[in-house]
Amino acid sequence: MPEFLTQIEPVKQQALAQLSAAGDLGALEQTRVSFLGSHGKFTALLKQLGTLSKEERPMAGKALNAAKVELESALADRLSLLESRACEPKESTDFTLPGRRRVLGKFHPLTQVTEDIVRSFRKIGFAVADGPEVEDEYHCFNALNTPPDHPARDTQDTFYLFARGDRGAEDGESLLLRTHTSSVQIRVMEKQAPPVRIIVPGRVYRRDNADATHNPTFHQVEGLYVDRRVTVGDLKGTVEFVFKELMGPETRIRFRPHYFSYTEPSFEIDFSSALTRKMGKAWLEIAGCGMVHPQVLENVGYDSEEWSGWAFGFGIERIAMIRYGINNIRLFYENDVRLLRQF
Amino acid sequence: MKVTFNWLKQYVDFSWAPEELAERLTMLGIEVEGMEKLGGQFEGIVVAQVMTCDRHPNADKLSVCRVNDGTTERQIVCGAHNFKVGDKVPLILPGRTLPTKPGEAPLTIKVGRIRGIESQGMMCSPQELGLPGEVEGLLILREDAKVGQRFAEYLGQKEADVLYDLEITPNRPDLNSIIGIAREIGALTGNPLKLPEIKLPEAGQAIQGRVAVEIADRELCPRYTARLIRGIKIAPSPDWLKTALEKIGIRSISNVVDVTNYVMMEVGQPLHAFDFNLLEKAPGDAHPAIVVRRAAEGEKFMTLDGQERTLTDPMLLIADKTKPIALAGVMGGHNSEINLETTDVLIESAYFKPQSIRATSKKLELRTESSYRFERGCDVGICDWASRRAAQLILQTAGGELARGLVDAYPQPVERKQITLRHHKVNELLGIELAPEQIENYLSQLGLKAASRKPRPVGAEAAAPAPVSFVIPTFRVDLKREVDLIEEVVRLHGVEKIPSTPPRGAVGFNPYDSVHDQLAEARRMLTGLGLFEAQGQTLVSDAAAKLAGAEPLVPLTNPLSSDMNVLRPSLLPGLLDALRHNLSRKNGDVALFELGRVFAASATSTKGSGVGQETPGVGETRRVAIALTGNRQPLFWSGADREAKFDLYDLKGLIEEFFEQFGIRGVTYSRRADSTPLFIESATIQLGKFYLGQFGQLLPALRKEYDLADAALLAELDLDVLLARRNTTKSFKPLGSFPPIRRDVAMVLPEATTHEAILQVVKQSKLAHLESVELFDVFRGKNVPAGQKSMAYAFTYRSPERTLTDAEVNAAHQDLVAHFKQRLGAAIRE
Repeated sequence: MPEFLTQIEPVKQQALAQLSAAGDLGALEQTRVSFLGSHGKFTALLKQLGTLSKEERPMAGKALNAAKVELESALADRLSLLESRACEPKESTDFTLPGRRRVLGKFHPLTQVTEDIVRSFRKIGFAVADGPEVEDEYHCFNALNTPPDHPARDTQDTFYLFARGDRGAEDGESLLLRTHTSSVQIRVMEKQAPPVRIIVPGRVYRRDNADATHNPTFHQVEGLYVDRRVTVGDLKGTVEFVFKELMGPETRIRFRPHYFSYTEPSFEIDFSSALTRKMGKAWLEIAGCGMVHPQVLENVGYDSEEWSGWAFGFGIERIAMIRYGINNIRLFYENDVRLLRQF
Repeated sequence: MKVTFNWLKQYVDFSWAPEELAERLTMLGIEVEGMEKLGGQFEGIVVAQVMTCDRHPNADKLSVCRVNDGTTERQIVCGAHNFKVGDKVPLILPGRTLPTKPGEAPLTIKVGRIRGIESQGMMCSPQELGLPGEVEGLLILREDAKVGQRFAEYLGQKEADVLYDLEITPNRPDLNSIIGIAREIGALTGNPLKLPEIKLPEAGQAIQGRVAVEIADRELCPRYTARLIRGIKIAPSPDWLKTALEKIGIRSISNVVDVTNYVMMEVGQPLHAFDFNLLEKAPGDAHPAIVVRRAAEGEKFMTLDGQERTLTDPMLLIADKTKPIALAGVMGGHNSEINLETTDVLIESAYFKPQSIRATSKKLELRTESSYRFERGCDVGICDWASRRAAQLILQTAGGELARGLVDAYPQPVERKQITLRHHKVNELLGIELAPEQIENYLSQLGLKAASRKPRPVGAEAAAPAPVSFVIPTFRVDLKREVDLIEEVVRLHGVEKIPSTPPRGAVGFNPYDSVHDQLAEARRMLTGLGLFEAQGQTLVSDAAAKLAGAEPLVPLTNPLSSDMNVLRPSLLPGLLDALRHNLSRKNGDVALFELGRVFAASATSTKGSGVGQETPGVGETRRVAIALTGNRQPLFWSGADREAKFDLYDLKGLIEEFFEQFGIRGVTYSRRADSTPLFIESATIQLGKFYLGQFGQLLPALRKEYDLADAALLAELDLDVLLARRNTTKSFKPLGSFPPIRRDVAMVLPEATTHEAILQVVKQSKLAHLESVELFDVFRGKNVPAGQKSMAYAFTYRSPERTLTDAEVNAAHQDLVAHFKQRLGAAIRE
């Protein structure tokens, strides 16, 4: 064997050994450069090929080429191995560690309850309506069949406002904060010919000292339906539908005769469910309702012989408190993030 | 209104147990708010005598006794040994329950076999009865105890009764009396009302010639009656009277006063008793006179509670010719009240105009059982009956001699109202079919008499019953029109018997409907951005309100406190309160928004898609506000910026993303030159000529005042303007499919050069294929001279039609860079 050929095998073996010994991509690159780089040992052998005789050259070329292919293949294998090793995590992931959380905010619990109520009413064809929170005596009381000296006004202690305007307090048209969403009944009926089918969520105000069940600001929902031949049976049917939607299908509803100046006959609504039983009560009062008083219809210019209707209203806080077991109304207005996160 | 079971039973028969009565009253519209058993814990326990006592055949420690319970002899197995034959002991009969101690389950005694021998009841120890006593074994009763006597009676306890606390609605003043409630029970059961029979002696001297009554204001006092009893003796009331009043929570005072209270509770008519001898007559008059007149402005009067009160016209007074003696319908006078020396009594039974009593009572802040009844409306027809009833009971309890007859000043007796009922209206409103007879029957059970049948309206179906006119008793002040009669029908028929009809009818419409959805959409976006929704108080303090701006505030005339004396002009004071609350609870990281109304005193309010309605004098607008404080990210356990706090750019980013999602484009932000009462640094937000709102960083002084640990960032936007200006049109823009080419530029600029100024230059350069400009670095410090900053932008070029060449992009980009140098004095960093 010519002397040149004998030089190939040891360099190749040395290169293969170093390639397989290279522990990382840097070491591998060094090895590559030291053998296959322009000044590398194997490259030096290649460079010698030109110095060989014509006879020696084919054989040597063949041998060198085979060795080169082998080395490059070994290099590629090693590279691939080391590359994939480099991609491996430095330490394994602890899948029980908490991740980087993105925060999704939440609707206020009162908004959630309001939306649930609105959703149930909309299912049965109600439109949402709205009206001002600053009202006049007429829309809040007089038009609702509650004249100024009416004893029913005692139960609704009212906040009055100092305000400028062409109708001052002097002529009995003082401004006030609405004590109920029922004022919107009048606002809507004044503008809209019957039939009317609306639901009115909103803030209302009563001059009660704040305690566990009272806040001067709270929310109500009013429902009003005026059409031809609307009956007490219709009222019952809708109320039952809505409360079953809200409080669960096993909810039972009871109507009791009561008194509101703007409905006649009037009823209070009690409900009974697992929630009330948990509170140790067979029935829990939840809402007031009744057939729209003909005087109210007449006050907005409707013909009370042709049109009849029902209205009902309830407190959203009360529903939320019962539903979620919240025992203090003030929690709703403190906006403690621990509470907001819970619902 | 408090009533007791036994008292009701005096006026009407019913067979309901106490619980059922409560249920029936509630379903009739008289809500039972409370129910309390009085006495009665020894129900079913009687005095019994041991007749024989033998050893139990199967148990050494037990005996088998024969015991007489007054009606029969029973066999009782007993374990006690402290008694002998002939002893009297308490015996509980089978089916009865031992007095229950708090927290224990009730124990009901049954007939049972004890070791093979039947035992028909149980002889009781003091412990078993809940009575004190150290006795080992049975309670041995006194020898004189009557066999068969109720054990409660043996103990001298009152009969068992049940106290009901009833909620009486303001429309039904007639129910503020025992008889009123009994009447309702009668209507429900069909049983007649049993009114006490009143027979008064006719022998005495006539009242005429002893006292006169002059009504000066007939409108405020339509009727005034007086009766006179002489020679009575004031003394404590007899037991029955004391007990009756005490059960319903009225303190017993003396026989005469108690009788007036008793009759008021019985029939609902407030009465007043004057010491007749304290009435003075005018000089020259033969006898004293009662004058019903309006108070003079500023007139002073001492009511019997010892308070001197300053009266105003038209408060109504009862007076004699020289002085006022009672505040009509509200409270008697100190100068004429019944006292221990009283011998002659004048009984007032009158009717006063409800509005007058209500106004007086409200103005003087003096509420009494009497004013409560008068202001709701008493029965003008009952004055005489009530007066006779009081006379009867005074004679019975205090003796004396009744002057014959009464003075009844009743210048214009009221006519009884009549209300016409059309039967079909009942059924139309209730949604059921009631027979005409049934409807009329319900009403007649309530004491409404059918007066006349109206002729059938022309064209009405022949079968339709003719409308009926009902005469309304004077005590039913609430019945005013047809629908009120319909309510009576449904009360007696029972609303539970009306079948529910499934929702049906018109589909609703209201312009607000879509606004509601848009508000919900805004809420959803804001929660999606990591904010929690808050709900603040509408009522805030004027001090806090003033922080938010200079708009004229809307103050309350009757605030509850100075903390809540104006309507919020902004949502920010409320959010600051929420931050403070959270920090006080150690919730350091808070990101909230609120969507709500604010109020400003003005003659106009924002219209458009906004609140849409306004009350003159106060403008209502919707706003959305955001508040941030504390850590930007939820706690994480790694990373250099994990402790980073919220800053103004977090807030601005939220606002920008919200605007984009909500469809608000072309917004400009202008830095305010100075701090405001709220912000140390802030900007206003405009959309063209429309003011959208402001945002900024809270003043350090306020941050301290609100006890906040970190910087607080606040924003408030006018939601009504956003609703009106949002553009929600959506249309497809083709997605560029040719490759983009990016060129980065970093340049050193004077500190005062704004991002906005750079964008202006870019805009004015009108580069054909520029797709986007993004700022990716702002740097100050090493290699950047003081007073300057380095800003790095990425420019992306792309054509929708072809692949751009490097050359054309380079050319365009060179132009742009030249503009930066020229216009902004930028030094390009290579």
